[in-house]
Amino acid sequence: MGKLTGAVRGTDTADTADTADTATAGAAAGDGAAGGEPGELVLDLAEMPTRQVNAALRALPDGARARLVNPAGRHNLAVGLSRAVRVTVAGPAGYYVGGLGEAAEVTVDGPVGWGAGENLMSGTVRVRGAASQSAAASAHGGLVVVEGDASLRAGISLKGGRLAVAGDVGRYCAFLAQAGTILVGGDAGDALGDSLYEAVIYVAGRVRGLGTDARISDLTDADVAAVRALAAQAGFDHVDPENVTRVASARQLYHFDTAHHGAY
Amino acid sequence: MCGIAGLHLKDDTYRDRLGAMVAGMLRGVAERGPDSAGVAIHSDGLEVLKAVGDPLAFAARIGLATRSGVRALAHTRMATESAVTAAHCHPFAVRPPEPARGTAAGQASAAAATPVDTRLCLVHNGSFANHASIRRRLADEGVTTETDNDSEVAARYLAARLAAGDDLAAALRRLTATFDGFFTLAVTTADSFAVVRDPIACKPAIIAETDRWVAMVSEYRALLGLPGLADAAVFEPEPEEVYLWAS
Repeated sequence: MGKLTGAVRGTDTADTADTADTATAGAAAGDGAAGGEPGELVLDLAEMPTRQVNAALRALPDGARARLVNPAGRHNLAVGLSRAVRVTVAGPAGYYVGGLGEAAEVTVDGPVGWGAGENLMSGTVRVRGAASQSAAASAHGGLVVVEGDASLRAGISLKGGRLAVAGDVGRYCAFLAQAGTILVGGDAGDALGDSLYEAVIYVAGRVRGLGTDARISDLTDADVAAVRALAAQAGFDHVDPENVTRVASARQLYHFDTAHHGAY
Repeated sequence: MCGIAGLHLKDDTYRDRLGAMVAGMLRGVAERGPDSAGVAIHSDGLEVLKAVGDPLAFAARIGLATRSGVRALAHTRMATESAVTAAHCHPFAVRPPEPARGTAAGQASAAAATPVDTRLCLVHNGSFANHASIRRRLADEGVTTETDNDSEVAARYLAARLAAGDDLAAALRRLTATFDGFFTLAVTTADSFAVVRDPIACKPAIIAETDRWVAMVSEYRALLGLPGLADAAVFEPEPEEVYLWAS
């Protein structure tokens, strides 16, 4: 099995293990000497397959902490966590980091690949770097924070979660987003909010272009409060909540319009 | 899927380490393409090597890490639209057709005896929807393909455009307007390295650039280990935009 160092103090892994192939048996014997903080489970990915890592993380109890070292851009790290654990990925992560999570706090100290926090249910995925395509895709709840830029299709098909990007977002941000909130601290690329449903986008910088059925709408006091709260939670002090552009659906694609029947 | 990687050296600092750098990049995209692998290495000439099977075994077999050069492409293939054979492996290396005779002159098998190898090399992640139509149009112009692979059509098209007088950037812009489908392409010639993506940019691409080299890969992990990466400018190329570096 892979190298497991460090231990979660005061926990009973046998009681919390929810998978047959969990690898936490090795964790209890560790001594925390691999760079982790006291009480932090350290998993060395150079010596562990991804499934073993994720099984070990899923076996942790509420309140536990873990650090994944040597991630080297590997995909599918810390996915499917369903307890209030805190996981730090100490380096670049690949696709889908923190995806499908409930209640967990996943932090990546580096850039991430496609689909960071995709299908997140609750909890937080924080990226201390840039994110590639489709950050927070289809997230139902929770918060995805990107402290750098996010590339194309950030927040695609968002279903109620929140996405906060400190820097710029690429084209097609919020494509088909159904519910939830997106805050862009920098500029937004072309086709922002294309085919948007009821998600709302706030952009602190420039909007390069709107997608089909997206429109700029008035900022209400409720919007300002929402932006202030989201910026505070994300740790963005460069966003002025009263000076953002609100983009929402024009709702012209919701229904078949007989005036346009010739187009079908 | 497929994995692609390209490396262009701006000076001679890493010339002797080019193969080692490309070997690391190939390793980083190996999972994306288990069917076959190939490399094109521009040194004093051009060497194109490719084979069906595991990319890592291929890299070891050809001694990739020990090779030197100034520019290279690498590809790992997960075949989606044509057979897994040596002939269908990337990179596709194509000599621009002779305009006067109007015949296809691209033969990718032998290294040229001339000092400058004029072959254009291409690696592709994606698939073209209209390659059959373009293949027929090229045939009408006397440009024939050797396989039924869609990516080869793109290489032949670009080579034909260069022969017709386009520079590489113009040829790539024309390609983006002509070819329908998903593509991230990396292209090398005797003096240039270029990257272009389709308008939707469905296929991944990351570029890292320093004063000494520029690298393009499908995934960030393929950049790990490159010298000076920590200080490199790392970005994703914009859709439809041609990125080109020339020596």
